[in-house]
Amino acid sequence: MTNLNGKTYALTAITPMKPWKTIFLRIFVFALSHFKALNNDLVNLSFIHFARWVIVTRKQFPYVGGSQPRENLKYDYVLFFSNFNGTWNQYIDAFSSVLAIGLNLFWHWSNKYPGAVPITPFKNYIARVQFENDHYFTAYPHAATNDVKAAHRVQAAVDALAKVSTGMTPDQFAKAYSQFVLKVQCDLGSTGAAPVGV
Amino acid sequence: MANKSGSLYGLTILSPIIDDPKADVSHDLALRIYLNGLKRDQDGPFAKVTGTHIARLAVMNDVVFVGHPSKEEHLQSQYLVFECNFDGDLDPYLDRMATQIPEHVEAIWSHCINFPGVKDKVAFRAYMKKCQVETTFYFADVNDKTVEQTLRALQTQTSVASFIETNQGKSPAEIQQAFSALLEAMKNAPAPVSGSGLNGPQRYQTAIVGGTIHHE
Repeated sequence: MTNLNGKTYALTAITPMKPWKTIFLRIFVFALSHFKALNNDLVNLSFIHFARWVIVTRKQFPYVGGSQPRENLKYDYVLFFSNFNGTWNQYIDAFSSVLAIGLNLFWHWSNKYPGAVPITPFKNYIARVQFENDHYFTAYPHAATNDVKAAHRVQAAVDALAKVSTGMTPDQFAKAYSQFVLKVQCDLGSTGAAPVGV
Repeated sequence: MANKSGSLYGLTILSPIIDDPKADVSHDLALRIYLNGLKRDQDGPFAKVTGTHIARLAVMNDVVFVGHPSKEEHLQSQYLVFECNFDGDLDPYLDRMATQIPEHVEAIWSHCINFPGVKDKVAFRAYMKKCQVETTFYFADVNDKTVEQTLRALQTQTSVASFIETNQGKSPAEIQQAFSALLEAMKNAPAPVSGSGLNGPQRYQTAIVGGTIHHE
């Protein structure tokens, strides 16, 4: 299944939008980009490595000349890409539960968007506008987003201990090492194959 | 610029696929067959392109009709969608694609209209930028670490878990010596492999034999 690589799932979706609504989506994105507090729910979900929304207006589909015919579209389009941990159902459920308001502000402008709640029409809509990937690569398939963040905390703690421990007596080192273990003990979960969805 | 988040770049490319009614196998199907045959682990093409965190390729046959009263419409071309999250800036990354996996780039984008090939890097860059669409909103959960830093951190995490377990109950002097050996192993370890299997990162190998530290 090419949407899944290790613990990471790639969701790709495209939705049509009336051109006069595009400006409202851009205003919302501008606010989201400039007020970091609005991103908190996205950060706190903590199972999305990368996500992006891309507005392609009806006149902005790339044109490279040659035999390519010009597009003649009535709608603008919103492409959505997400790289997340877990299964499709878990992701859509979490999105609907935690980010309903944010999602509605992103997709409210798209044609026939039913809202993130209730969940059944929302899932039906995403299933309808999603299309399959043909190749999917991730550099760390064994690691969830939380694994990556925990690993960086462990690395920082190791670097800090390495820096201060030079020249320490064994007893001084023992104290510093105890502090180190206390600091990293919650970040040592093992990585590997996902428990579900493999 | 919405294409960037911290030190990461989010590239989105839509390349129109050749429509040749006379072809035995249509270009979109040939492309799908090729893409589905590519390895997706450490032997895959994007594992070889330095700085690639996550990349996907998809053939978009058409836009979606979501039902009435929305109007049904269709694209004039099918598009190859390339979505990539990588370290640094666009030009160096495109150059790395052209030099580190030229055969795959040629094999994939040769199904797209007016693709100039990768030998002329300037033309290649210009083509890819012509097909690029600007990201409107880009979210990267960890946006200040390179792929190599992340892979090394994951390796360190595994090694530290093992280290703590192995050295539990030992004297401070022994633990200190073992920690020095771990740091030395980390320093001398080769660069971790991108895209490697699902068994997780290998821990740094150290051994202490007869009071002398040996690195394996």
